[in-house]
Amino acid sequence: MKYELVAGFETHVELATNTKIFCSCTTQFGGEPNTHCCPICIGLPGTLPKLNKRVVEYAIKAGLATNCEIAEISEMDRKNYCYPDLPKAYQISQFDRPLCNHGYIELSNGRKIRILRIHIEEDAGKLVHSRGSTLVDYNRGGVPLIEIVSEPDIRSIEEAREYVEKLQLIMRYIGVSDCKMQEGSMRCDVNISVRPVGSEKLGTRTEIKNMNSINFIAKAMEYEFNRQVDLIESGEKVVQETLRYDDVTNTTSGMRGKEDANDYRYFRDPDLVTINVPRSRVEEIAAELPELPAQKLKRYVEELELPEKDAQLLVKYRKVAEFFEKAAEGTKTPKTAANFIIGQIFRYVENEAEKEAMDIKVTAESLNELIKLIDNGKIRMNLAKSTLDKMLETGKKPSELISESDMAGLDENALAELCQKAVEANPNAVADYKNGKEKAIKAIVGFVMKNSRGKADAMAAEAKIKELIG
Amino acid sequence: MSESKIAGLHRMLENKEISCQELTQAYLDAMERDNGSLNAYVTATPESALETAAAVDEKLARGESIGLLEGIPMTLKDNISTDGIRTTCCSKILENYVPIYDATVWKLLRQQNAVLLGKTNMDEFAMGSSCENSCFGGAKNPHNVNHVAGGSSGGVASAVGGHLAVYGLGSDTGGSIRQPASFCGIVGMKPTYGAVSRYGLIAYASSFDQIGPITTNVEDAAIVFDAISAYDEMDSTSQGRQGEPVCRTLKNDIKGMKLGIAREYLDGVRDDVRQAVEQAAEVYRSLGAEIVFFDLPALKYALPVYYILACAEASSNLGRYDGIRYGYKAESYSDVNDMIKKTRSTGFGEEVKKRILLGTYVLSSGYYDAYYKKAQKLRGTLVSAFSDAFRSCDVILAPTVPMTAFENGHAVSDPVETYLTDICTVPVNITGLPGISVPCGYDAKGMPIGMQIIGNSFEEAKILNAAWQYENAARIYKPSDFGVKL
Amino acid sequence: MVTKEEIMKIAILSKLFVADDEIDGLTEDMGKIIAFADTINNAADEGTDFDHINHLSNVLREDVVVPSLDREKILANAKDSDEGCFLVKNIMK
Repeated sequence: MKYELVAGFETHVELATNTKIFCSCTTQFGGEPNTHCCPICIGLPGTLPKLNKRVVEYAIKAGLATNCEIAEISEMDRKNYCYPDLPKAYQISQFDRPLCNHGYIELSNGRKIRILRIHIEEDAGKLVHSRGSTLVDYNRGGVPLIEIVSEPDIRSIEEAREYVEKLQLIMRYIGVSDCKMQEGSMRCDVNISVRPVGSEKLGTRTEIKNMNSINFIAKAMEYEFNRQVDLIESGEKVVQETLRYDDVTNTTSGMRGKEDANDYRYFRDPDLVTINVPRSRVEEIAAELPELPAQKLKRYVEELELPEKDAQLLVKYRKVAEFFEKAAEGTKTPKTAANFIIGQIFRYVENEAEKEAMDIKVTAESLNELIKLIDNGKIRMNLAKSTLDKMLETGKKPSELISESDMAGLDENALAELCQKAVEANPNAVADYKNGKEKAIKAIVGFVMKNSRGKADAMAAEAKIKELIG
Repeated sequence: MSESKIAGLHRMLENKEISCQELTQAYLDAMERDNGSLNAYVTATPESALETAAAVDEKLARGESIGLLEGIPMTLKDNISTDGIRTTCCSKILENYVPIYDATVWKLLRQQNAVLLGKTNMDEFAMGSSCENSCFGGAKNPHNVNHVAGGSSGGVASAVGGHLAVYGLGSDTGGSIRQPASFCGIVGMKPTYGAVSRYGLIAYASSFDQIGPITTNVEDAAIVFDAISAYDEMDSTSQGRQGEPVCRTLKNDIKGMKLGIAREYLDGVRDDVRQAVEQAAEVYRSLGAEIVFFDLPALKYALPVYYILACAEASSNLGRYDGIRYGYKAESYSDVNDMIKKTRSTGFGEEVKKRILLGTYVLSSGYYDAYYKKAQKLRGTLVSAFSDAFRSCDVILAPTVPMTAFENGHAVSDPVETYLTDICTVPVNITGLPGISVPCGYDAKGMPIGMQIIGNSFEEAKILNAAWQYENAARIYKPSDFGVKL
Repeated sequence: MVTKEEIMKIAILSKLFVADDEIDGLTEDMGKIIAFADTINNAADEGTDFDHINHLSNVLREDVVVPSLDREKILANAKDSDEGCFLVKNIMK
């Protein structure tokens, strides 16, 4: 029998605010333990939470960017459970009335992964287990999070990968999070079940907690899919449980059963008041949203006439897309800028983090200047390419690297002289050409180009050489 | 003592009839002498009190004017956080806890050079009606030390009634200011929810808790209320006083004022208490006010609604006492879960544990709808019932407690009967309304009887006005034999 | 009626131990309190929607950093601390 994977995601994204969700301590990553703390962070008796305005705004942005409805009225609830990393023994979250509801993310295969809800909540502190003891650091406690809960609409590991990548990209585009999975600012819980292909009924699901790498997610899902299929095929039952993925052994295992079954006793937090987001405010925030990756991709392909593959490479990182748009501005064909970026600049920003930062010596304005020199016939492509390499190395502007004489081109006499030299220096190629090897002429033209340092017009040189060889 | 009112003491300080240090020392000496009998204070702060007093004296010596509360010796209930001064909630679990920040109310008073004499006794985590649920033992009634001071702010009431402080701040979740004030024959006011900041008040039940003044007379309550009722950005539920200072309208004529009496408030109330309230109504008639009777059937839901919701909130608020960051921590344990359970089981007293269990129960899955949700809806019913009542009257008159202070160790053993003593006080906490208790008589044993004046939201000015007029006309207050005699 | 098992279950959720000699008395007390609470559970009155005790909305704070407290103060009330952290010994059995 063939089985199909059914998966849903709960994704925690840390919001890039300056301060924590309920107090004015910094959210900066790192820092000595317990140095980003105040009486509110450590839940001292008598302290009260005060909601950060920007958290609400960022969550609304995230909701709008994932096609959610923004609730006019939402509320904060307490999720009660006792654990040393949770200083109040409850997490302030949203249960009954989350800020965002019923959105979706569209995948490249046209399927929509529905988003059930997005709510705001506080992060917990950090526990370090060492030598049989536990150390507790509350620096991360109170850092704002959004939890994005999808419906179980994902049907393959490829879809899962794309869903997470899209989510990450969108959040980065709208600037609400850096979504650095390795630093934990984006983490995923995945619900997985399997069912025979064609069946409508959902199987028993397991939940793999807290994964912070897309590759791990893919591996864990694959392992878990196979494990569940094996269980069913051997007549056993899948047990509903929470699992942990071990990236060393590439296996999942049940988390140690806590003494108490989860009963979070949610109730409205009496210390916080209603969040009321009028329609007009939603419209204001919507107007502030930048163009989203999906819209950009469409525009690059349809309006800028880039090949889809190129367009995808460019929209994948917000800064790359911004760089491209500035570099291509006012140029004849946007494709030229795209080629320079994908062909040459990407050699300098190889990995994800580098592309994310786009920390290179060339500015988009300089590249734009260079492309305009080509457009205006001042320089040839070959010279432009070598100049860009130099720009990437030195950070200098095209005007600093290309001299007047470079841009002047070759006059007719100089070209004729150089072509004559080329013919004399390449007797073999001349002979080949005369014997009908049309391509042999390229070698002679190449000689001209090289010796003119790219200034010569290849077409004109070829015509001149043909004239000379007769 | 001939003078124990804030305004009078303020004049004496200004006229240099007494120095602030002498005044403070007189209270410290009285505490030394009488606290053994009253057990009102659990922590005394003589050094910082005298330091503040010296600063006030210097100001006076320089000829500077001082504020009304400046240099006046006072006390705080031991659930109001004081930076650098032990704050225990009278619980073993916080026995050595020293806050690192000030509650907003204390910040406000400290800025006015209030002289803090010490922190006062209470039922553990403000849960109780006798002050006997304190890990330090209960505070005693200054009218007769064989009787309880009441609770939970029993220590403040005992100290103020026993002249070991000019005034104090208590907290009121289900009657914890008004009930001990009534038992000790003094004045206590629970302001409208949101009028006074809760920041720094160690939470019992967050949507009920409110800080308010306990004083020997109505004018002092008005002065203290004006000083502490400010909007606070640290408390999301804070609104501050709405309208002008209540002191300005305190002594206004009340001719034509309509006082409502709900029959349900008088059901099951001891005869002498009911009679005292009825006599107070007569005093009001003589002052030109009108008495109207009405029904408030929703009142029957008040007690269960209060206990369900307050305990639910408490079960969550008290989850944080796990021994890790502050407070008592179990000595030996096998793992972290064991440590937390041992800490809590040893650190909390019986009543607190019972309320945590009840609160957990009503929130747990399967029971939430039947108890918590239903109680929340009936809370809504009570809110509308009171708001309807205020269409036909200005203020509501009721007993504060159905009885007078019981003897020490005589708290009823049946848990439900114990809770029934709160029947007259919990409605204003459920509805967020302001209420004040003023003395209105004495029982056969000479123990004080209190009556309650309840107002509409943010109408503290009205209830204080009504209370002052009654106090001035009836002249019920009798000072106890304890404390400062100048 | 509240059972001993229910009391044990909520004790676990409440992170409290209930000693063997306490359980009967506690079950009885809780039974009385719950029975008392049941008077509203059985109330014919459907009730009125209750929002929040003081009907406020959008009480929000600007996203501006205020310096955190000194770590010595943060850790001052902890019974045990080490390496700048709150410490619980022997979390692992």
